Amino acid sequence: MRALRWGAVLGFLPLLYAAAPQPADWVPMRWPWSDAASLELLSGTPINCLLLKTVVPDFVEAAAARGVVTLAVIAPGDDVAGAARRAMAAKVTGIAIDGDLPEGAAATVREAAGGAPVIELTSRSRMALGSSAAGVPIIGTYQGVWPGIAVEADGAKKAAPSGSVWIDTNTGFIRAVRAWGDATLWMANQPPLKTVVTGARYLQAIADAAISGARWVLALDDDFAARLARREAKTMADWKRMADLLRYFEQHPEWRNMQEYGKLAIVQDPAKGGLLSGGILDMIAVKHTPVRAVPRQHLTAESLAGATMAVNVDADALTPEQKEVLRNFTRGGGMLLTGPPGWKDSSPQGDQITLDKAELERLNDIWRDVNSMVGRRNMGVRLFNVSSMLSNLLASADGKTAVVHLVNYSDYPVEDVAVHFPAEYKRATLTTPEGVVKSLEVYPTEEGGGVDIDKVLVCATIKLEQ
Amino acid sequence: MTRREWLAMIAAAPLLKAAPGLEPPAAPVSIARCASYDEDVTAKLAAVFTQLGGIDGLVRNKTVTVKLNMTGSPGIRFQGQAPGVTHYVHPKLVGATAYLLGRAGARRIRFVESPWATAGPLEDVMLDAGWNVRSLQSAAAGVEFENTNAQGKSKGYARFKVPGTPYMFPAYDLNRAYQDTDVFVSLAKLKNHDTCGVTLSLKNCFGTTPASIYGDNAGVDEPNEKPTSGREAVLHEGRRQPSRSAPPELHPDSSREPGYRVPRIVADLVAAHPIHLAIIDGVESIAGGEGPWVRGIRKVKPGVLIAGLNPVCTDAVATAVMGYNPRALRGTAPFRTCDNTLLLAEAHGIGTTDLKRMDVRGLPIEQALYRYDT
Repeated sequence: MRALRWGAVLGFLPLLYAAAPQPADWVPMRWPWSDAASLELLSGTPINCLLLKTVVPDFVEAAAARGVVTLAVIAPGDDVAGAARRAMAAKVTGIAIDGDLPEGAAATVREAAGGAPVIELTSRSRMALGSSAAGVPIIGTYQGVWPGIAVEADGAKKAAPSGSVWIDTNTGFIRAVRAWGDATLWMANQPPLKTVVTGARYLQAIADAAISGARWVLALDDDFAARLARREAKTMADWKRMADLLRYFEQHPEWRNMQEYGKLAIVQDPAKGGLLSGGILDMIAVKHTPVRAVPRQHLTAESLAGATMAVNVDADALTPEQKEVLRNFTRGGGMLLTGPPGWKDSSPQGDQITLDKAELERLNDIWRDVNSMVGRRNMGVRLFNVSSMLSNLLASADGKTAVVHLVNYSDYPVEDVAVHFPAEYKRATLTTPEGVVKSLEVYPTEEGGGVDIDKVLVCATIKLEQ
Repeated sequence: MTRREWLAMIAAAPLLKAAPGLEPPAAPVSIARCASYDEDVTAKLAAVFTQLGGIDGLVRNKTVTVKLNMTGSPGIRFQGQAPGVTHYVHPKLVGATAYLLGRAGARRIRFVESPWATAGPLEDVMLDAGWNVRSLQSAAAGVEFENTNAQGKSKGYARFKVPGTPYMFPAYDLNRAYQDTDVFVSLAKLKNHDTCGVTLSLKNCFGTTPASIYGDNAGVDEPNEKPTSGREAVLHEGRRQPSRSAPPELHPDSSREPGYRVPRIVADLVAAHPIHLAIIDGVESIAGGEGPWVRGIRKVKPGVLIAGLNPVCTDAVATAVMGYNPRALRGTAPFRTCDNTLLLAEAHGIGTTDLKRMDVRGLPIEQALYRYDT
């Protein structure tokens, strides 16, 4: 119903607003300025939705004239309904609630918005998960880790002589959430305070969300915003690269509609452990084992089709019917790994969005078993020389096309990446945000085929076709 | 101190323990300038081999096993750089070695390493390091790869007895690749080492020991064919013995200090399994430690290739090129907290550390000098 109402609202907007994009196509940014001249920065970018802390009618009108959607940001505080009414009077397109309002307050904002879109950017635990049926086209959270290679307090990269570097990422959370519902997901976390954020780190934040089908609500730190306002050359160059990267993903809406692919399935409750970053999905991602999240709520024989291995994180949480699904999976030859006896998937506590040390150690037990079970098997694709990267393997509904997204989280280009994939894929094409579109030579490997990629700056995508 | 004064000083240093009545052998060592990997590395290495009198006689119609230095996980990088320009030997030098061995008539060229915590194919580790395995395979006929962390493609292990008076173990059980060979090449990197002061062609052979037997999670009775750890507990610190299938330590009451143990184990290993050709990659490297996990390391570009037919001589020259006295005793750089592996190997009779006895060809040491300690 709500979706229909939104459609009706947008349909009756004045002609000026006719070019306004649909909510699912909104490319959002927290806009730190309110002068109409600042809108010139949007030229050549795909950003079409601005989140405004300060609503200035002239600015809203100028934005609308450019076909740009505006959302008034309303934070928890006194009289949120009044703030919403004032914003609507200034003719913003809708409201973005930025934070956790008291029970029932969101409803008053909706009422004040008069049917205009209201996007709730809540804590992870209060997100309307699995909510596509409820007609909410966009769900979002203000909570996210700042993506990048984890660094210890003394500045050293978090790694042992032996291990891989750890990459802070929201991808596991995004994948868990998107597996449960088809609403557009916005990550509205902001850059860390008192930290110099380089242009590369912004690119990583954009790509971290985009490779798993979400959108990061672009948010600039004060220093970057000031330099951008002054049109400093280096900052403008960074800005252009950010725009290019956003455009790269927006030009391929088919990627957002492809399915997570992998012969390894993780059965987990997105409303519990799935809400936490640094969990089992992220652990597997760091090892570049293609994996698909299967929400416990959606566990059926169909959801496991094509999987050869499954991990049941919280066995006690399953219904008898769901347990039978897993029994049938193993009877059919699938390998099943279950969490240790008594192990329960953790639910986030308070503002928690990452695992605490004790939970991490317990999860490590599962992780070691998963690692041992997978070994060198090709669970969809095997990647080499990607220690500073994360990847995501997606496949079309008919399985004839797959894409492998790569994001480089280091400050240096990565050279000489190798990708091995099953024999059914015969052709491979490399695309990058820098405009490279290149057919790759496929060579035989023990797993089927392989391709080499000379260099990855921040992001690259390999399209595999049968 | 000028370069010449420094060389005169280190040449006058006393031997630690010369074998009575028998001088350890000396052999030529060759140095060539190679400023970067963008140069013709193959031509530079060929020149080094030519200065040694050529390698045809050594490798023609032979099986040649080349121990690479690929220490640590390939995922751990120094400032995001490819491992080949920091702490691994560079793949271009590996390819050049394969090509030149093939051109010299080697029948079979087997690259070996016991990489960190895995018994999986060595090719996977190379790919993870960004190496082009297909290029290496096509560099010469008969190129193979073997991960020697476990028994690998062969069955069982080969036992290498330490001749004379071993320091630590009477013998070492290694992958059969080390036995099934005519010529053994140590292809090392010009680096400092946190435990041993320097890691060159001798120390590179520490990595011949299989983690299946000498690793932290080695089997108690039999080797663990799926090792997932390093060798701290057994070799570095002696907190446990190797799998019972292999000979235990000779002196379990001896020091457990890594700076005492590791140099002796290395000297034992090289005595048990001689190196016929030592090649040291000093084109680009790191100083201050052997890998990115060592605090305080820095990138260096000595711009040299060093090779020799005796590993002690070669390492002595390489140590001098790094700005150290190859005969320095414990407490002196670079052996501040360890015994000198070179002197221990010399005392085993493997080769001399006496620079005065060495025929250094190509670039003189004083011109190649690149001080690792600043």
